[in-house]
Amino acid sequence: MPSLLLRPHATLSHAEALQVAQQAPEFLRKNPASYSASPFFSLFSPPESSNTWTIYENLLLACLRTGDNTTAHQCLERLVVRFGASDERVTALQGLVKEAEATNDSELEKVLKEYEEILAKDNTNVPISKRRIALLRAMGKTSESIEALVQFLDFSSTDAEAWMELADLYLSQGLYAQAIYAQEEALIIAPNAWNLHARLGEVLLMAAESGNEGNPQNYLAQSLKRFCRSIELSDDYLRGYYGLKRVTDKLLDANSKEKKSAESDEFTLPETSTIEKLNQAATKKLGDIVRKYDAKDPLWQGYDAGEVAAARTYLSESSQKVVR
Amino acid sequence: MAQLPAQTLHRDPQLFYWILIPITVVMVLTGVLRHYASVLMTTTPKKADIKAIREQRALAHGASLRTNYHVLSRKAFETRRDFLIEGFESGAYLKAPNQKGQPPANPMSDPNAMEGMMGMMKNNMAMMIPNTLIMSWINAFFSGYAIMKLPFPITIKFKSMLQAGVMTKDMDPRWMSSISWYFLCIFGLQFVYVFLLGSDNAASQIAQQMQQQQMPVGPMAPGQDPHKMFKAEAENLAVIEHYSVLDGIEERLLERIKV
Repeated sequence: MPSLLLRPHATLSHAEALQVAQQAPEFLRKNPASYSASPFFSLFSPPESSNTWTIYENLLLACLRTGDNTTAHQCLERLVVRFGASDERVTALQGLVKEAEATNDSELEKVLKEYEEILAKDNTNVPISKRRIALLRAMGKTSESIEALVQFLDFSSTDAEAWMELADLYLSQGLYAQAIYAQEEALIIAPNAWNLHARLGEVLLMAAESGNEGNPQNYLAQSLKRFCRSIELSDDYLRGYYGLKRVTDKLLDANSKEKKSAESDEFTLPETSTIEKLNQAATKKLGDIVRKYDAKDPLWQGYDAGEVAAARTYLSESSQKVVR
Repeated sequence: MAQLPAQTLHRDPQLFYWILIPITVVMVLTGVLRHYASVLMTTTPKKADIKAIREQRALAHGASLRTNYHVLSRKAFETRRDFLIEGFESGAYLKAPNQKGQPPANPMSDPNAMEGMMGMMKNNMAMMIPNTLIMSWINAFFSGYAIMKLPFPITIKFKSMLQAGVMTKDMDPRWMSSISWYFLCIFGLQFVYVFLLGSDNAASQIAQQMQQQQMPVGPMAPGQDPHKMFKAEAENLAVIEHYSVLDGIEERLLERIKV
């Protein structure tokens, strides 16, 4: 795993983000404020690599997250010095800093206006388009945000990140069919991403549980398959096993109550015995993961604490049910 | 047969100071100069407009559906396929939908393509002009001497290359003339440039020649009719026989975890 400073910022937990932000002043002190293009000076200053700038960006985000706005401004300043204020990515970061410093809605509106002005001049500016969508979402204007995102995806239909965001937005609105569609689009772009498979499984499961559209049996069947695929791609994926257990529990429950509903043109459920076996396997694996995580086994510490806790609770709940 | 006595030539050490070192220094400096000249001459790539991006990405979207259709269920795949095929065939994704039947414009009259060609011309010029100049400079001033002896034996075939300008029939091919030192510099200074200018410098000619050989042929090569490409893609999509990785995955997975 790369060092904390280089990891994509969104994957960091709060504690890790704080840790990163605390390294910022030191990093700023160690690195020169600007890099000279002349070969003579480059002999005497520390080498500049693309990693340096990734770190600056991550530090900027971490500082904003922890409320250290002065350091964030210093990071931003260096990025501006290096890449120029008109660089697309730098403008997006500048906007981000303004968003973070805005204290009320009217200031956010102002930032939004600025984004729209930039987009009016250049409608292919991807980072700014994305910021605008994110800002709209943050301001609670979900439907506008969805609209903007759909427009964005119309011209850039190979952007998995955007499809995922769209899926998330639709999901927040309870539009499961649309969310599933967007999620599938993301999968087409990244067919072997086990986390996307598991996520789609989760969305399908939610759709089945809400039960107000489509055929829940259908959703469950596909959800089961998605979780299976996710585990097939990544052996010890906690979310995959967790979902598999949930969906098999649900299927077994439903099976005992009512027999299989009518066959459909979509996926069909496997035999009940297979589902049972899958359920047992998932329970066993989840138990293993939780046990090894709790025993501080050094090779099993990569899991998110919250996810392990959820698995633990769910396991104890379901075992109680069995006892009863 | 008697061993030939090793040839010894008495050279003026001044040859070394006044030929070898100047040629090397000049070569390094031209490389650095060329790098900065090409940095100055590069024009920022022109931004594609939104329609062109849309056209390109739509085609890429079709291609990714064609390669990764197996992650979808049959129904999901078929909806997407029908939608894309319809869009592709009607020309909804084209940059200029109303010119779809027309032959592609002549690349010479297209200002965008012209700019690309100008850029290539400039690069070529930046490479050729200094080379010709230096070579004629070396030929004019330093031809006719052997300046150093290579520390390893080489075959007679190299004679014409290494001793260009030295018309001595029997001289050991290990002796080399200034012009061959120049060639050695062309090929051997790459690492010096990397050290001085960073790894993506424009100083070394070898790297540039390599680049030109493997010029990326983008999905939208100029002079190709995008509508035809869309049609071809639609056809490719239409003939896909769908299967899904999700078919029978439960059994597959069970077998795997059991083992």
